[in-house]
Amino acid sequence: LGIHFDHIWQKTLTVLNPMKPADGSIMNETDLTGPILFCVALGATLLLAGKVQFGYVYGLSAIGCLVIHALLNLMSSSGVSYGCVASVLGYCLLPMVILSGCAMFFSLQGTFGIVSSLVIIGWCSLSASKIFISALDMEGQQLLVAYPCALLYGLFALLTIF
Amino acid sequence: MAYHSGYGAHGSKHRARAAPDPPPLFEDTSGGYSSQPGGYPAPGADVAFSVNHLLGDPMANVAMAYGSSIASHGKDMVHKELHRFVSVNKLKYFFAVDSAYVAKKLGLLVFPYTHQNWEVQYSRDVPLPPRQDLNAPDLYIPTMAFITYVLLAGMALGIQKRFSPEVLGLCASTALVWVVMEVLALLLGLYLATVRSDLSTFHLLAYSGYKYVGMILSVLTGLLFGSDGYYVALAWTSSALMYFIVRSLRTAALGPDSVGGPVPRQRLQLYLTLGAAAFQPLIIYWLTFHLVR
Repeated sequence: LGIHFDHIWQKTLTVLNPMKPADGSIMNETDLTGPILFCVALGATLLLAGKVQFGYVYGLSAIGCLVIHALLNLMSSSGVSYGCVASVLGYCLLPMVILSGCAMFFSLQGTFGIVSSLVIIGWCSLSASKIFISALDMEGQQLLVAYPCALLYGLFALLTIF
Repeated sequence: MAYHSGYGAHGSKHRARAAPDPPPLFEDTSGGYSSQPGGYPAPGADVAFSVNHLLGDPMANVAMAYGSSIASHGKDMVHKELHRFVSVNKLKYFFAVDSAYVAKKLGLLVFPYTHQNWEVQYSRDVPLPPRQDLNAPDLYIPTMAFITYVLLAGMALGIQKRFSPEVLGLCASTALVWVVMEVLALLLGLYLATVRSDLSTFHLLAYSGYKYVGMILSVLTGLLFGSDGYYVALAWTSSALMYFIVRSLRTAALGPDSVGGPVPRQRLQLYLTLGAAAFQPLIIYWLTFHLVR
C-alpha cells in the first residue's frame, strides 16, 4: 500500500522532540497518511470532549496549509509542494491531539489550561518551523516561519478550548 | 513604471500565490495516497493499473488517468492566470527577510525618532533586498500583521461575548477594503502628480500595511489596560507611524530628478506624502475603536 510505518514513526519522533535539530532528507517523501491520522484523531478527541467540529478542523487545516504554502514559496529560494507543506503541518499537529486529549478530562478554561495550550502551541510551531527550515534550507528565518505556524495552531487551540 | 501594470495585483494579495511549479524536489513515494502535484498522466495511469486489480474495471483506470490529466491541466491554467497579474519574482523580493530584519523593523515602527539614514540602498541600480537593507519595505510584516489583527479582533470580540464567525469575516473584509482603497488613492495621487518614482504597487501595499502593527499594539494595550491605555497607545503609534511614513516616502516618492524639479510639483508631492501620513491615524482609530470599549 505504500505506507511505511517506520517512516511515519521516525517523523513522529522528530516532532516529539523539538530541541533536536532535524535532518533535511526526512521530508523527501510526502506522505499524507500520518497527517490524516492525526487530523482524525484530533476530531475524535474533540468529539469525545463534546464538541462536534469536524468541519472546522478540516476547513481550518485546508486554508492554513494553503496560506503557509504560499508564504513558504515566497520566502524560500527553492519552492515547496503543497503535499510537503500539508504533510509537515499534519505531523506537527500531534501535540495538539495530546492537548485535546487532556481537554476530555479537565476543562481547559482556567489558567493552567491557557498556559499549557500556549506551551503546546509553541511546541507545535517550533517543530514545524524546524522541519521546514531544514528541508528548505532557509537560514535565519526560523522564527519567521514559526510565527504563522503558531497562528495556525493557535486557531486549533481555540477550537479545542472554546 | 510598474504601478500601471499592478492594478490587479492587490486584489490577489490574500488569495493563494503559487510559485511556478518547481522541478520535483520531493519525490512522491507514497503510492496512491497523495495525488502527485503537476503529474503527467503516466504516473496516474501507473496508480490506476495497480488499483485495477482491486476495482477490476477497465473504465476506472481510464477515468483516473483522465481525471489526473484534467487536474494538472487546471493547475497549469491557474498558474498562468496568476502569473498574468502577479509577478512572482518581484513579490519574492518583498519576502526575502530574516528574523533580525523583522525585529529591527518592528522596533523602527514603534520608535522611529532616532534612526538617521532613511535612504534605500541600491547595488548597481537594483534595490537591495530587505535582508541587507533596513530601509527597504517588505510584505512579510504587513501580511502577518493583518492576519494577527483579524485574529486579535476575533479574540477581543470573543472576550466581550460579541463573537460570531460572521463578525470575523466582516472585520477581515472591512480592513481589506480600507487597504485596497488607500492603495488606490495613493496610486491615483502619484499618477496625477506625475511622479516617476520607484514606488510600485507592492511598495504602497507594504507602507499602508505597516499601520496594522500600530493597530495590534493599540488593541493589545486597550485590552490589557482599558480604554485609557488604548488612547495612549493610539496616540503614540499614530505619531510614530506618521513620522516613519513621512521620512521613508519623502526620499522614495520624489524620484530621480527631484532636486531640480519645479516647485509646484515638489509641493504637490509633499502634500501627497503628508496627506497619506495624516490619513493613517484616522484609519487606525476607525478600525479599532469598536474593539475596545
